Amino acid sequence: MAASAHTIAAPARAKTAAGSATLRRKQGFQHGGWFVAPFLLLFALFVIWPLLRGVYLSFTDANITGEGASFVGLDNYREALNDPLVWDSLGHSAYFTLLVVPCITVLAFLLAMLAHHIERGKWLWRLCFFAPFLLPSTVAANLWQWLFNPGTGMINHVFGTETPWLTDKSYAMLAIVITTLWWTVGFSFLLYLAALQGIPGHLYEAAKLDGANAWHRMVHITLPMLRSITGLVIALQVLASLQIFDQAVVMTDFLPGPEGSTRTFVQYTLEEGFTSYRVGYASAISVIFFVIIAAVAFARMWLLRNREETAR
Amino acid sequence: MGRPGLNRRQLLGGLGGLSVASGFGFAALGTGADALASGADARVRYWNLFSGGDGSNMIAMLDAFRAANPDIAVKDSTLQWGSPFYTKLAMAAAGNRAPDLGVMHLGRVTGFAPGRLLDPWDVGLLAEYGVREQDYNPTLWKRGVIDGELYALPLDIHVQLCFYRKDVLKKAGLLGSDGRIVPVTSTDEWFDVLKEAKRATKKGLQTIGLWNSDQNFQWWFFVAFYTQLGGTWFNAAKTEVAFDTDKAVQVLEFLRRHVTDGYSNPGFGGPASAEQFINGSPFVWEGNWSVPVYSGAKLDYGATPLPPVFGRQATHAESHSFVLPHQSDRGGATNEAAHRLAAYVVQHARQWAAGGHIPAYTPTLSTAAYKKLDPQSEYVSAMDHQATEPKVWFAGSTGILAQRVGPIVVSSTMGSAKPEAAADRMKKTLTQLLATKNPMDGKTAAEGGAA
Repeated sequence: MAASAHTIAAPARAKTAAGSATLRRKQGFQHGGWFVAPFLLLFALFVIWPLLRGVYLSFTDANITGEGASFVGLDNYREALNDPLVWDSLGHSAYFTLLVVPCITVLAFLLAMLAHHIERGKWLWRLCFFAPFLLPSTVAANLWQWLFNPGTGMINHVFGTETPWLTDKSYAMLAIVITTLWWTVGFSFLLYLAALQGIPGHLYEAAKLDGANAWHRMVHITLPMLRSITGLVIALQVLASLQIFDQAVVMTDFLPGPEGSTRTFVQYTLEEGFTSYRVGYASAISVIFFVIIAAVAFARMWLLRNREETAR
Repeated sequence: MGRPGLNRRQLLGGLGGLSVASGFGFAALGTGADALASGADARVRYWNLFSGGDGSNMIAMLDAFRAANPDIAVKDSTLQWGSPFYTKLAMAAAGNRAPDLGVMHLGRVTGFAPGRLLDPWDVGLLAEYGVREQDYNPTLWKRGVIDGELYALPLDIHVQLCFYRKDVLKKAGLLGSDGRIVPVTSTDEWFDVLKEAKRATKKGLQTIGLWNSDQNFQWWFFVAFYTQLGGTWFNAAKTEVAFDTDKAVQVLEFLRRHVTDGYSNPGFGGPASAEQFINGSPFVWEGNWSVPVYSGAKLDYGATPLPPVFGRQATHAESHSFVLPHQSDRGGATNEAAHRLAAYVVQHARQWAAGGHIPAYTPTLSTAAYKKLDPQSEYVSAMDHQATEPKVWFAGSTGILAQRVGPIVVSSTMGSAKPEAAADRMKKTLTQLLATKNPMDGKTAAEGGAA
């Protein structure tokens, strides 16, 4: 009897609960909706609309003036797949990403460990490691352009070398990677530092009581506890690095680098759109790039979800 | 939690942005009002791309014009050099917000949709203000003519030069009795000169700065020497590539040899070339815009056109020229004022010549004042043997041709590609570009009518 009363009552209760949830959601939208409306408007105007417009233009032979464009179907995409510079520049962006991501992840972790464990002048270390990130990209790039200058630059002077850093294709990308590491490691460093501070101290105490040495504590507590933040750092860095543009362009004086070796994908898109005025074609290659970046982002989400499911 | 805060911040940010934007709006109104309030009959909005020394020389010439023509207000704007400038000019012309007068590199004019983004000059009006075709080097004038109309009025030519240190060359016995470098007429003679100069060079300095790793300079040098060999790019109808790979290989090998024989150090392959020259390196190949830099550094130096090592004089030349960006309602007092301003600056370019450029208006070249300029008068002959890029839509300063072919020349000079392979790649690139349609009018170079 009690059971049946329960079965009857339960849907009714659930219904009311559902009703009030809808109500709350509605009220929530009334308040929150207006707050996000300006953002949504700008987002639609400056992100969604250009995105759709870009996709449309990629099927046309539009030029920079936007006049007299005609529909060309998949011609631009066909041309892009056979364009050696598309593959070259994609390769350069990927190469940059492959160099930067592992370095920045390890470096950020080591710096965070240092800043976390050091006792004296903690604030100074944190400031030093994070400060470069606050610089605009052009400032960072110009600074390092001077440092890498073969004749008067500090780097060759200190090491007593004559390395043509930014003018030889074997070094140019490396120089840009070094600049990027210095400039952006602070962000990942901060993520790691926050995560390190979030690890409960009692875990270490318990481990110590059980006789675990520093190495064991690092391998069995610190690293596993940082696993999700490492995933985040890698994902953010991959997405940011693939879109490399500013520092490469500034450090090579707005040219594609020695023998075109630092021409990144974004730079090539810009060249096609704003030097060659082939906006239709530039749109097509940027759509291709968008798909690649989106695929990487989705792959990351999918991997993470799988991991969460296995963790459950 | 935290969400309202985020929204509030965005809202405030948005409001802040709006107020800043409206501030700019009012500021823009203000500048317009200033020029209108000056009591002038006509106002010429003039866009240029001159910064640094060129920028201040241009401003001085504009001020002189203002003093001489109080009835014309000139509102000049200097924009970022290179692609950004051309992008803005194209969009302004397409959106019917074009300035009344603009500056372009002559080689870019063909690709800038003459007739659509550019309006032709009124040659009769120019003549009234004192500038006629016969005041120009004929080749230079014709480069601005497309489909029988003049679209570009050249202000100068700027050329690649062989700068030399007189102090070092004197020690090496390479200075003639006239105080100028001994004449060179073949590649062998040139490398002999380098050999002697190297002996007289201080340790740690290269013999010649070549900008080995710079795609623009290497391309300019290639154009010069390929022209010395009598090389051509396309057939007259622009339907076939006539690029001669054998000649190209000769040029590429010549450029490369400077590195392999140890005269040019790839370590100083960029702007460091100029620093080395200032420090005592005997030679540097550079644009004439470096004249104020070296004169300012009080060097004892001279400058000649690039040596005619393949037997015939030719040095790479580009030209800053005045253009009329397209306006649907071009005409009237403003248009006349634009013509008057351009004609004035062209005729009063002595200030400009101090910046190293060779004035395009030939009467200036024979004046005593110009002849007194040193080393300008030493390389003024470059006006008569200009090596230029082909007259096609994808050519011109920092244009697509230079961006595509420049890196290939560099790869040969730096040694990462064999000259033969590089020449083949150049030909392939030229073929591809010739078949590509000009995005501005949907025509290939063959259909483009750049006659």
